[in-house]
Amino acid sequence: MTLAITIGVLVAGAVFLMLQRGMVRIILGFVLLGHAANLLLMAAGGTYLRAQPLLGYTAADEASDPLPQAFVLTAIVIAFSITIYMLTLAATGRDDDTEDAS
Amino acid sequence: MVLLILLLFLAAAVVVTFPLDRLLGRDAGWPLALVLLALAGVVLALAPQVLGEGRTIEFVRPWMPTIGVELRLRMDGIGWLFTLLVTGVGALILAYSTRYFPRGPRLGFYALMTLFAFAMTGLVLADDVVLLFVFWELTTIASFYLIGLSGPAGSRPAIRTFLLTVVGGLALMTAVVLMALKVGTTRLSVILADPVWGEDPTFASVVALLVILAAFTKSAQFPFHYWLPDAMAASTPVSAYLHAAAMVKAGIFLLMRFTPAFGALPVWNLTLLTFGLVTAVIGAVFALQQHDLKELAAYSTVSQLGLLVAVIGVGTEAALVAAAVHTFAHALFKAALFMVVGVVDHQAGTRDLRELGGLRRRMPVTATVATLAGLSMAGIPPLLGFVSKENVFKGLLEAPGPGWIAPLAGTVAVLASVFTFAYTYRFVHGAFWGSPRAPQDDVVEAVPGFVGPAALAAGLGLALGPAVSTLNPMAERAAADAVGAEDAKAELTLWHGLSVDLFMSLAAIALGALLVWWTASGERLAGRRLFPVRGVTIFEALRSGIIRLGRRTGDLTRSDAPPRHLVVPILLVAALAAAVLVIGPDVPGLYGDPSGPLDWLLVTLAVTSVCGAVVTGSRTAGLVMVGVAGFTTALWLFLLGAFDVALTQLVVEILTVVIAALVLRRLPRRFHRIPRPRAVVTGAIAIVAGASAALGAYFLTGRREPSEVSRYFLDNSEEDTGGTNVVNTILVDYRALDTLGELVVLGVAGLIIIAVLNSSGLLPAHSDRTLAVGPSSAAYDADDNTLVMRAATYVLLPLIVFWSLLLFVRGHTDVGGGFIAGLVGGAGFALMYLAAPSASVARISLAYPRIIGSGVIIAVASGLLGYLDGAFLRPLHGYVTLPLLGEQHLTTALLFDVGVYLAVVGVVLTALNQLGVEGSLPGESTGGTMAPTEDQPPTNDDDPPGRREGPPDEAEAPADRIHVDDGGVR
Amino acid sequence: MNTALLSLLIAMPLAVAGILVLLRVPRPLDRVLLLAPGTVTLAVSTWLLWLVRDGAVLAHNVALWPGGIAIPLVVDAFSALMLWATSLLVVVCAAFAIAVGDDRASYFGPLVLVLSAGVAGALMTADVFNMFVFIEVMLLPAYGLLAMLGGRGRIRAGRVYVTLNLLTSTIFLSGVALVYGSAGTVNLAALAGAASESPAVAVGAGVVILALCVKAAVVPVHGWLTRAYTGTSVAVTALFSGLHTKVAIYAIYRLYAVVFDGDARFLWIGVLAFSLTMAIGVLGAVGEDTTRSILVFHMISQIGYILLGVALFTQLGLMAGIFYLIHHMFVKASLFLSTGAIEHTHGTGALDRLGGIARREPLLALVFMAGALSLAGLPPFSGFVAKLTLVAGALEAGQWAAAATAVVVSVVTLLSMLKIWGGAFWGTPPEERADQDTGEHAGGGVAVQDPPRVRPALLMPGLVLAVTTLALGLGAQVLLDLSAQAAAHLLDPSTYVEAVLR
Repeated sequence: MTLAITIGVLVAGAVFLMLQRGMVRIILGFVLLGHAANLLLMAAGGTYLRAQPLLGYTAADEASDPLPQAFVLTAIVIAFSITIYMLTLAATGRDDDTEDAS
Repeated sequence: MVLLILLLFLAAAVVVTFPLDRLLGRDAGWPLALVLLALAGVVLALAPQVLGEGRTIEFVRPWMPTIGVELRLRMDGIGWLFTLLVTGVGALILAYSTRYFPRGPRLGFYALMTLFAFAMTGLVLADDVVLLFVFWELTTIASFYLIGLSGPAGSRPAIRTFLLTVVGGLALMTAVVLMALKVGTTRLSVILADPVWGEDPTFASVVALLVILAAFTKSAQFPFHYWLPDAMAASTPVSAYLHAAAMVKAGIFLLMRFTPAFGALPVWNLTLLTFGLVTAVIGAVFALQQHDLKELAAYSTVSQLGLLVAVIGVGTEAALVAAAVHTFAHALFKAALFMVVGVVDHQAGTRDLRELGGLRRRMPVTATVATLAGLSMAGIPPLLGFVSKENVFKGLLEAPGPGWIAPLAGTVAVLASVFTFAYTYRFVHGAFWGSPRAPQDDVVEAVPGFVGPAALAAGLGLALGPAVSTLNPMAERAAADAVGAEDAKAELTLWHGLSVDLFMSLAAIALGALLVWWTASGERLAGRRLFPVRGVTIFEALRSGIIRLGRRTGDLTRSDAPPRHLVVPILLVAALAAAVLVIGPDVPGLYGDPSGPLDWLLVTLAVTSVCGAVVTGSRTAGLVMVGVAGFTTALWLFLLGAFDVALTQLVVEILTVVIAALVLRRLPRRFHRIPRPRAVVTGAIAIVAGASAALGAYFLTGRREPSEVSRYFLDNSEEDTGGTNVVNTILVDYRALDTLGELVVLGVAGLIIIAVLNSSGLLPAHSDRTLAVGPSSAAYDADDNTLVMRAATYVLLPLIVFWSLLLFVRGHTDVGGGFIAGLVGGAGFALMYLAAPSASVARISLAYPRIIGSGVIIAVASGLLGYLDGAFLRPLHGYVTLPLLGEQHLTTALLFDVGVYLAVVGVVLTALNQLGVEGSLPGESTGGTMAPTEDQPPTNDDDPPGRREGPPDEAEAPADRIHVDDGGVR
Repeated sequence: MNTALLSLLIAMPLAVAGILVLLRVPRPLDRVLLLAPGTVTLAVSTWLLWLVRDGAVLAHNVALWPGGIAIPLVVDAFSALMLWATSLLVVVCAAFAIAVGDDRASYFGPLVLVLSAGVAGALMTADVFNMFVFIEVMLLPAYGLLAMLGGRGRIRAGRVYVTLNLLTSTIFLSGVALVYGSAGTVNLAALAGAASESPAVAVGAGVVILALCVKAAVVPVHGWLTRAYTGTSVAVTALFSGLHTKVAIYAIYRLYAVVFDGDARFLWIGVLAFSLTMAIGVLGAVGEDTTRSILVFHMISQIGYILLGVALFTQLGLMAGIFYLIHHMFVKASLFLSTGAIEHTHGTGALDRLGGIARREPLLALVFMAGALSLAGLPPFSGFVAKLTLVAGALEAGQWAAAATAVVVSVVTLLSMLKIWGGAFWGTPPEERADQDTGEHAGGGVAVQDPPRVRPALLMPGLVLAVTTLALGLGAQVLLDLSAQAAAHLLDPSTYVEAVLR
């Protein structure tokens, strides 16, 4: 429930920013959207077991689902890659962003 | 087998055209004509077998067995007749062409003409509907190029003809598919004999109409009649072939071929009769109106084909006998007439009736040929055309349906013949008899090789009139095949007593003579417009209408503004969510208690930061707010037990903010103001999207017990891999392929940043003073506040590097791993960058792309090591005792992680260096760079007017322009 | 065959890419290295086609972890066909890029190699999350290639392309999350039939397929394609046309067949959307005025045709769709490359600034026309078999409207192809036209000079593909047989599933 609300809020903010003029707002929107997708992945593993899956510290039947965590780690890095590339595009060529808001 | 040889010879003829043309130029027509003549001889030699004994010759080879299509050829009576026409007339016309064209190569023409002969022969011999369709379309393609050969004047007519006949072709294809699906085979003879045509009249009618559409477009029947005269742009030999034996006859062939299936359908009879007769009359009337001999002949073809179509529509034995004979007769006289037109055009320099006349004195042979062919066309005894036309009348009188149909059909046919007589008179008399209307001093008779082929065709028409009974076997077989009977009876004679049809012939001639007198052989009608619009005009209007509609369609998406494109998928996802909500599938109950005590705090934090990011007009504030949201996400991850991930998230967030800050200083400080309407609309979309996501997350997750896969990982990872950090073992052992892909993605991001900046360059730092990253920011003005930072860095950097290495080494068993370690290391460099007093110092002088490259190579190589144990990415591990450290667990996964570490560090360095320094930095060792090119000025169509008054053009200046004065990094 | 070697199809291009980044490879050698992995993949996939021709499935659990745990790589007739076709395209397009000098741009070679590795991975993987990763591996180089090569609009095109793809990738990822959330696995074989049994899984998988539809440029989410693909270089457009949208289409076929088990309840949505795609795409094409933009809109239309096969979900329909897919990859690239040769030689693809090329370049004209006729579905080219079987499939499935759309659209297809033909190949060359116009526009005072000729190196790539489409038309049986085999596996994925979980 709480996670779902967080996801919804992030998505709403993301979509709003993505639909505005200028590359930078769009990028910020995507950053938020990425957070939402990652949290959704975490939710997919179930949120009632919340112990970290480190075998030395946690018993196997209490640990949270490790697979979505691996997915999220991968997804974070991929999103990061694209984000810095998009930032490059925002700083290249001309675009709405290069103009002052008047 | 003989059929295959026939086709192969024709195919070979196409191929040898190339050397022949080079060798002989226009005379290449001779050997080609000989080939066709020889093939016509072969066809004649088959007559005893096919016509006499009534046997069919067949040939089968598999072609596409998966869909049941075969290379199946079959020669029956109809096939025999048309093959003879195609090869025989083809030979005449090729011979004629050698004198028609000026000297020189005629590659395109000869190759296409033989291709045409090949396609037509294939068409009339095909016994597989798909094969039939293939050859049908080949004739279309060949005619397109033949018409187009005549240069710019021919291109539009060629295109019009092509499109129209392709429409027919598609109708045929649809019919073919329907037939094959219904009957279960593509074999034509089986399909025709299938009982379904009688049992399912609705289906049969649909297919029949499709076949009719195909035939009508090809045979230029009303309302598609216009293409044939339009195609007159083609050279005369082409027209002669198209009209006499090839293209237009394909439609006639098709109708005859399918008569066994559809002959009894009322819709078939009615459509063919109606449209055929209408075409016959209007074609003849139009022909009478023409001044141009060629166009006259073209409309004449339209009219004659109309008669053929109508008589085929009757569907009785006698009618099809008439169709067969008239097809034959028409081929002869129309070929002759067209060749004559070419001769006249060539010798007299014009084919306009207003400039011709009395040519018989100068060109007696040509005049005789023209007269003979004309008499045959007009249906004057004792020529073949007389017999055939009389048979057409006879056939039409058998028209099925209510009693009044037959007499009406007969009358209309006579009416068409009246005009036929008149236009023939106009043709022959206007050009050859009468008196010259222009000086003809330099007009001479054509050479024998030129007029000879026409004379041969016309002569045959004369000879076969009295000897028409020799055509009986052909007509019988063709009619028998066409009505699907065992046998048919044809009694073709020049004189068969005083019958109705004889009087019809006589009436046509007499009234025709009257019409000639009344219209002054057509002069009174010529040039007058009978229809308000021309077919070509309608076609062009349709064409440009489609193009305009297309333009509009394209306009829907003609925008380079990302939101325009992004909004559609968002709405689709929302629509999907709404649809699911409406259907309301049952979902299982929640599994366990999915909330924790601190959760609401994070929700509040998320709401606050997101609202902040949305509301703020400052770029920096927006970035900070989004950063807070990222921090919240990291906290969530901590809370959910994903320590590795949370740590990664945190570092990534920091790096993103740093890099974004570097970009922001090139941009104005504030965002665009969002106009209220836009805010409302996008806000509504955002809320819908957010609600969809929240509902999806709530209803579709957390409702099952832990998955088997996760159990497996938790239970087996230590044994399988020696690692106790399960997430890390998944990353580098179980799903190392994901991780490999991920590090490649990261590495490529570094490369493309360099590549894009090499080709386009960075924007200069923004010139105005209201900058996104304020002067107080480290990223903006390094000098002011780097002292403390620098001091701190000396202490911090080694610590960070150590921490990074620690994270790296213990990753397999504890929180850490290559990614986190690399990111932390990268963050260290970021710190160093921020603290650096100047750009040149900040620029880390390492060949960072190479770090990326080596990272990828190490990762792949460690994967390849796995082949020692059987597979790519299979980790090799074991415990070894090392001095000082004691027993250690070693695995090639660690090597893999080295690759990851290097790639991550390389990319972070790349980003910092490329984006951080004023001006663009050409990439390291990239093997040649592209010159920076200016980017296109914006042409956003959804932007308000006047937005281009923004900053001066220096925003577009090449990137290496350095603005020392703006207080940027020096 | 040792199926563990399948991983090499991914590892090899990555390794070569790494070497090209790491070392300063001298001129001719770097081109060899650019072409070599594609050529090897082409050879290997030909062999794979031979191995799977009678329905065998080659499956490998990466790193030999147990089935269901490991990421599986699978090659059956469908994926082998796709591997074969994509690798041929990579080689041909790279050859064209070398011919026009695109390969001198920074990291062109490594990017193309990574791209092809991503394609190979996405085609072979039977793990939905892994598919996401490989689609990203395929996309990242594409982002760069798109924005670094080509004309003035490339950065803007790049922005549209990146944002749109990032959005869809995120949607894809969310779909994967939902699938895992309800099914507890992302292994394709373990998910077999899950969506037709569980509505929850169906929603997740539906989100995934929706994302793939965006990536495949299905109407109404097609606009990005027309913006992105016209802004970059010819070689890149041709390459992308054969790879990106086609991998998405492949994934749609695979996922719908396996996860939805061809569920008949949702097929109508596909029939509707894909018929619309055919129609809207072709209308857009006919309204355009440059060779490239016409061809790009055509891609959309043809994507509708290809996907119609999966929306029919019958043996005949699937076979036709797969045949169409392979045929289209070659024909489209051939057209891009032959008109691209004109663009590069004459400096423009605008129809009103070209003319009379057929007379000067008869071979190029033939190459273009082969592609154009094939695209419109005329015999004897492969397009004819593709269209014939697809229309047959639609009629057999009782989809009259879709069949009619397919037929009518092909007329408009031909109309727009003839627009190019009439504008660029026939008609008056611009320099002669200028002469006629009282010499006022006579090329800005440039003396009458012979127009440039298309170099053989620019012609060859298109020619190779044109010959392929002719061969696939006359010798359609080979491809039909393989497509039928591929369709059979989609219709009944049990062999596929068993091979993966074993």
